[in-house]
Amino acid sequence: MRDNTLNTLAYEACPQCDLLLKSEVVAVGIKAHCPRCGCQLYRPRHYSVERTFALSLTGLILFIPVNLLPLVGILVLGNAQEASLWSGVSTLYVEGLWGVAILVFLASMAFPFLKISLSLLISGHLYFHRPHRYLNVWMRTLQHLDEWAMLEVYTLGIIVACVKLASRTELKFGLGLAAFIALLLVIVMLTSSLDEYLFWRRIEALNKSNSKHNHLNR
Amino acid sequence: MSFSNKKSALKQGLIRCHQCGCIVQLSAIALEGKHLAPCPRCDGQLHTRLPNSFQRTAALLCSAFVLYIPANVFPIMIVTKFGVPEQHTIISGIISLINSGMIPIAILVFIASILVPLIKMLGLLILLWAVRYRWQRNMRLLALVYRMIAFVGRWSMLDIFMISILVSIVSSEALEQVLAGSAATAFAGVVVLTMLATNSFDPRLLWDRLGAQ
Repeated sequence: MRDNTLNTLAYEACPQCDLLLKSEVVAVGIKAHCPRCGCQLYRPRHYSVERTFALSLTGLILFIPVNLLPLVGILVLGNAQEASLWSGVSTLYVEGLWGVAILVFLASMAFPFLKISLSLLISGHLYFHRPHRYLNVWMRTLQHLDEWAMLEVYTLGIIVACVKLASRTELKFGLGLAAFIALLLVIVMLTSSLDEYLFWRRIEALNKSNSKHNHLNR
Repeated sequence: MSFSNKKSALKQGLIRCHQCGCIVQLSAIALEGKHLAPCPRCDGQLHTRLPNSFQRTAALLCSAFVLYIPANVFPIMIVTKFGVPEQHTIISGIISLINSGMIPIAILVFIASILVPLIKMLGLLILLWAVRYRWQRNMRLLALVYRMIAFVGRWSMLDIFMISILVSIVSSEALEQVLAGSAATAFAGVVVLTMLATNSFDPRLLWDRLGAQ
């Protein structure tokens, strides 16, 4: 059933203009672009699976302090007032803007968490050569929710909010902010180290060897 | 079997799975009712082109245009100082940033919350126009417009995130209180709808009619 893919015939198509192209081996450090529309086709990475595994493990650990510790705070009449990822969401919800609250919750907490855990699951299975029947589903989900995890944009939001507040009061930066910046770096590196093209090929190879193995056992 | 690398894959009876990127022969894929059978590599739904791409993008874009009006008319932030409420729309927020001398931040907010949504919506309009009226010139430029829109989309969430931090930090009843206004919901809607519109637009439609006339 699986022999009707033409990748064995060494063809690719541009995702943005559908031009049929002959597959070529691209060296690490080189970006392949489509000759017709100019979109980036492929950018191979060194040790993509290993790096993704290590980075997503780091990210998952960093997720705990980022969500528990306050990010920034101000001093009002001697009292410290602090903001964390969750306090923003809950304040918006209490104010009645539940739509915005849900969106902020998804974009700054739920989707980054899902993205990191799915990356960990997939790269872990690939790293230890363990086939799993849901690898396909995980990978497709990861691709779809990728752009909805917006920690980079959230960082810019923190910066603008800090500049607005800094003119009026004294700011206090918590340990949470340090963890947040570390998590941001990890996520940016994770996104660039995860080579979707390679991951799909490895998943396919893993599934194939698994079905062959089952066949022999029978 | 040999294929030309001057024509699109679909014209030669091949489909590229938009999820895993593998190439499948259309003749080897069975029909399951109205749909194609799932992709042999990733088990995702195969499409020759994204379904109803033009209509979906146009509908989402129209809704975004409509929501853009309340997003700019209504206050996005209500700052209460010593009991006196002061309402800020997106534009008046930027003006007050300029007045207090924070020019770089004002430029940043202007780009993220006014320029980017406008560019995104106008760009999508141009792309839909180009598909509808079968433009055959400046194709690489159109492809660049699509990639710009796709890249820039998420950055307009900046204002929403900034407000979510401000409301939770400045909430002491004594001196100053920041509340989010109704425009925040409308603006968040604009961002989400334009992102969905970009996702449902299939850029391959631009190239499909190339050389057909």
